[in-house]
Amino acid sequence: MRTNHTSLTTSREAVALRFNRRDLVRKAAALGVSVPVMSALLAAEARAQATPGASPVAAPPEGDPIRIGASVSTTGTNGRTGLYQQEAYLLWEAQKNAAGGLLGRPVEMVIYDDQSDPTTGSRLYERLITEDEVDLILGPYASGVTLAAAQITERYGYPMLVAGASAGEIWDSGLLYVFGVYSIAQDYFRDIVLNIAPAQEYATAAVIYEDAVFPSSTGLGAVAHCADAGIEVVIEEAYPQRATDVSSVLTRVRDADPDLLIGGSYLPDSVLIMRQSKELGVNPRLFAFSVGAAQPEFIETLADDANFVLGPSMWEADVDTEGNQEFFDAYMAMWDREPDYHAATGYAGCQILERAVTDGGDLDLETLRETLLGLTMNTVLPGEYRVDETGRQIGHIPLTVQWQEGAKVLVAPEDLKTGELVLPTPTWEERG
Amino acid sequence: MDVLQVILSGLLLGGVYALFAAGLNMIFGVMRVINLAHGELMMLGAYITFFLFSQAGVNPLLSIPLSAVALLVLGVLLQFTLVERVVNQPLLSSLLLTFGLSTLMMGIALNLWTSNFRSVAWSPLTGSWDVAGLAVSKSRLVAFAIALLVTGATWLFLKKSIFGKAIRATSQHAEVAQICGIDVRRVRLATFGLGSAMAAISGSLIAMIFTISPEMGRMFIGKAFAIIVLGGLGSFAGTFVGALLLGTSETLAAYYTDTQLAEAVAYAVLLLVLLIRPSGLFGRAE
Repeated sequence: MRTNHTSLTTSREAVALRFNRRDLVRKAAALGVSVPVMSALLAAEARAQATPGASPVAAPPEGDPIRIGASVSTTGTNGRTGLYQQEAYLLWEAQKNAAGGLLGRPVEMVIYDDQSDPTTGSRLYERLITEDEVDLILGPYASGVTLAAAQITERYGYPMLVAGASAGEIWDSGLLYVFGVYSIAQDYFRDIVLNIAPAQEYATAAVIYEDAVFPSSTGLGAVAHCADAGIEVVIEEAYPQRATDVSSVLTRVRDADPDLLIGGSYLPDSVLIMRQSKELGVNPRLFAFSVGAAQPEFIETLADDANFVLGPSMWEADVDTEGNQEFFDAYMAMWDREPDYHAATGYAGCQILERAVTDGGDLDLETLRETLLGLTMNTVLPGEYRVDETGRQIGHIPLTVQWQEGAKVLVAPEDLKTGELVLPTPTWEERG
Repeated sequence: MDVLQVILSGLLLGGVYALFAAGLNMIFGVMRVINLAHGELMMLGAYITFFLFSQAGVNPLLSIPLSAVALLVLGVLLQFTLVERVVNQPLLSSLLLTFGLSTLMMGIALNLWTSNFRSVAWSPLTGSWDVAGLAVSKSRLVAFAIALLVTGATWLFLKKSIFGKAIRATSQHAEVAQICGIDVRRVRLATFGLGSAMAAISGSLIAMIFTISPEMGRMFIGKAFAIIVLGGLGSFAGTFVGALLLGTSETLAAYYTDTQLAEAVAYAVLLLVLLIRPSGLFGRAE
């Protein structure tokens, strides 16, 4: 009976959906399905007629659905970003069901909202595994929730593709069932420090980072890479979360005059560091920030002052990777907005899970774990999926972007770049 | 020279803290209500400036009076409908109420405007002026000057005008003020409105300096409490001196030790002052 409409997910209620939405919402609410999920479902239904990526010739999937569980932050602090990941999961589900399903069976996503709270997240994974008895799981959004959830999925032996987190700590604690989808935070500056800086013969660096798990991981990773590249770190300093002033450390950076100023920072601090660097006349040859530099808000805020800044990016809409254009178009068609990189990593997680399950041939979790350890494949992300023996992602290549005359240009790696690097950064005086 | 630069940065930073803390302190002085929602009132002011600038191209400096008036009205409404009910009630009632208001306003803002960081990208105020070899941040100097102006005007209003005197009288002893024929209810309305307007102005200024988000209030409220305790509860001049002291001790500590330690050092200064003067620098022992 299932046709293309099965893309709408949730189980038996899918039938009811066509007849009585209000009833469904009530039932789903009783089942604890969050409002964002519901609205996403209803939106999906509205668009189901034109399910993106649908292949008209594929045989409709048969049998009981394969149920895939996840908790994603769709409300709370990370709600806005988490939503991208959830939308990618739902897009993949719709595409699979329209194209013959997984192992010939329909796919059904069971997604809860953890409200950006790690404790809630781990409780929800426990519930997905013990009460909902899902067949497979996908990772949540953000490092904090992932770290908490991984303890649960590990206990039950469910392999988890970490589609929304990059803190290296996840793979430092000896967990056997977590698999990275994109680079760990410690590797965000790898390309900039190991390749770009040495090519310019830069010899000194200042690394400042916010005292929180993710940004400090990126900063400390940069320090370690500097040691490998023979770049002397003249200033290494953490600053507190929610900093309102970094002029003191920047005054010292100005005196040390390093070639590189690297910020392990979120968008507000990246902006703060740039503004105060301009005010104080801090003139490194190269500015780089872990978050912010790749985001449109960065240039909206800083305008011309954003030019020359480098930043790592896990994915870009125009990067030439396998299936990226199709993913972009399908996402636009289904959700009426452009995907950001959280959507791309979520989608890549689905691609990897699909391939591993197909290669393994069944839903056995041990087989899946073995397959994920040995698998090498391309996703929409740059580089490839490949993990080391701990499950840490080592095949993904972070892109490097640079703002040039108000436009974001992909400057590295060599085979994917769309423009040339412009260095050194002129001094603030020269920029006028 | 570097030390002077660092002190200057601290003073400019302190000026912005001062205006924000002054409104909070005035509200506490008059009705003994600790307004935990003060940071969210500031956030609203910041968003008014942001939206006027980004949607209508209004010069951020000109939007300051608009955001002040808007929050004055909101403040009076809040006082009239809600806060008035917890005046003279146990401290916990007002804490719960204002905490609830804070969470509510932040939640609404998160839903309406998302948690995305925004900023007023007004280029005339980026960069710095070079004064005798010191880099004076344009945006921070302008914010400091406006903060000084507004705080000074409020101080004059409290000192010289009849209504300002009524506010001070209520602050000193509400019952006696009432016996003397002061309409304390009206005074409280005006105070909450005025305090909210001051929060709004500081928000508008902060929008020109920092990146703003619905959660920005939480960033400043802790510092504001430290400043008030440092300067003396209910003391207007104390707030200003306390703010400058906190700003400079933060930047100096960051320069000589470590940025991460700066906040700890600043609070150590606070503890030290309280050891010597338990009611704060300018506070009167009760």
